[in-house]
Amino acid sequence: MGYAAIRNVRYRGLASCVPKNVVSNMDCAEQIKSERQRLVRNIGIEKRRICYPWQCFSDLAVAAAEKLLADLNWAPEEVDALVVVTQSPDYLIPATAIIIQDRLKLKTSIPAFDINLGCSGYPYGLYVLGSMMSSGHIKKGLVLIGDKCASLKDPLFSDCGTATALEYDPDAPVMHFDLNSDGSGYRAIMLPVGGHRRPTKFHHFIPEQGESGARLPVDLVLDGTAVLNFSITQVPPAVRRLCEAGAVAIGDVDYFVFHQANRMINETIRKKLGLVAEKTPSTLADFGNTSSASIPLTMTHRIRGELVTMPRRLLLCGFGIGLSWAGCILETEGICMPELLEV
Amino acid sequence: MPDIAGFIANFNTAVDFQEQRELSGGTLLADLPEWDSLAALGVIIMFDTEYGLTVTGNDLKKCTSVQDVFALVESKGK
Repeated sequence: MGYAAIRNVRYRGLASCVPKNVVSNMDCAEQIKSERQRLVRNIGIEKRRICYPWQCFSDLAVAAAEKLLADLNWAPEEVDALVVVTQSPDYLIPATAIIIQDRLKLKTSIPAFDINLGCSGYPYGLYVLGSMMSSGHIKKGLVLIGDKCASLKDPLFSDCGTATALEYDPDAPVMHFDLNSDGSGYRAIMLPVGGHRRPTKFHHFIPEQGESGARLPVDLVLDGTAVLNFSITQVPPAVRRLCEAGAVAIGDVDYFVFHQANRMINETIRKKLGLVAEKTPSTLADFGNTSSASIPLTMTHRIRGELVTMPRRLLLCGFGIGLSWAGCILETEGICMPELLEV
Repeated sequence: MPDIAGFIANFNTAVDFQEQRELSGGTLLADLPEWDSLAALGVIIMFDTEYGLTVTGNDLKKCTSVQDVFALVESKGK
């Protein structure tokens, strides 16, 4: 398949929410300051947001959804579908979307389910909900996307939850999608322990010696070189393919909003596509890698003023864990978009 | 065929040394404090953007000297 088009669905609104808790990657012992400066210079991440211990991804996403519904003047009972894209569910089961259906006081006569995707999740969430809505049975839908993935053990990840509103509208511009998956790379980013293949045992909390020092078997495994090679070889051709399939010239795109992986990856992709920095807004310095929320967070934090007031053509592209990568071209006009929320 | 002097200049930038270092083909990677996972990412990007070649983390793990890394330009280019 690869390419897909969705008609009759309008991108109506977006809200993004981060925890108030800020951590700086430069908060470190004096003797490793220079080494840390080199790290921050290369990954481009100075500050991150980390949930308080009692917060879940869903708390951020619900705050975003409540604000978005209020600003859209949508009553909860008007919402006909709820999709949640996260890899940080409240519980292993049941699905977080169903819990949120009740928290948002949405009616019970709606589909609500989770999608387990990370960095590629934003285009996928729009595609799945958009596909459900294009026939017109569902008039108003919400897709809540993001993760609680930050930790003090790594300098990359940061927490964020977002809510996006789609509405059935026969006059809406076509949305173009390019969707891809390669499971041969599933080991590149994974939590190897805790699922049914390798259930958590006591010894998984005893540190073991890894290639880059001691680690717990329950910790995230991230093969940086594999992720880098995947990103810089797959993303640029996927962007070109999407533009070609959607008959959109690269020069006619107002903004390319990429998943915020790290500066090295994002800059390489930008240069390979020949894009100027002004067309590729970034939130890496202040918010780090917020997984599936990085695209909507960047839209909110960096280009909100334009998206609220004028028509814009956006190319959004997410890539990472799975391995999975996806892009979409959206034409927006006068989006309902609250300022960035903090809870 | 790229020359090693040009390669070393690119390598210097890619590794992002904290202090100026005099490198040669014989320089051992183990003697470079900055030869770490971050440096590997920089060198992989250098191979992609400067030479149009894909080098993996495993390729770099097999290298012991700057000359070994330079040799990847030829072996990967075949």
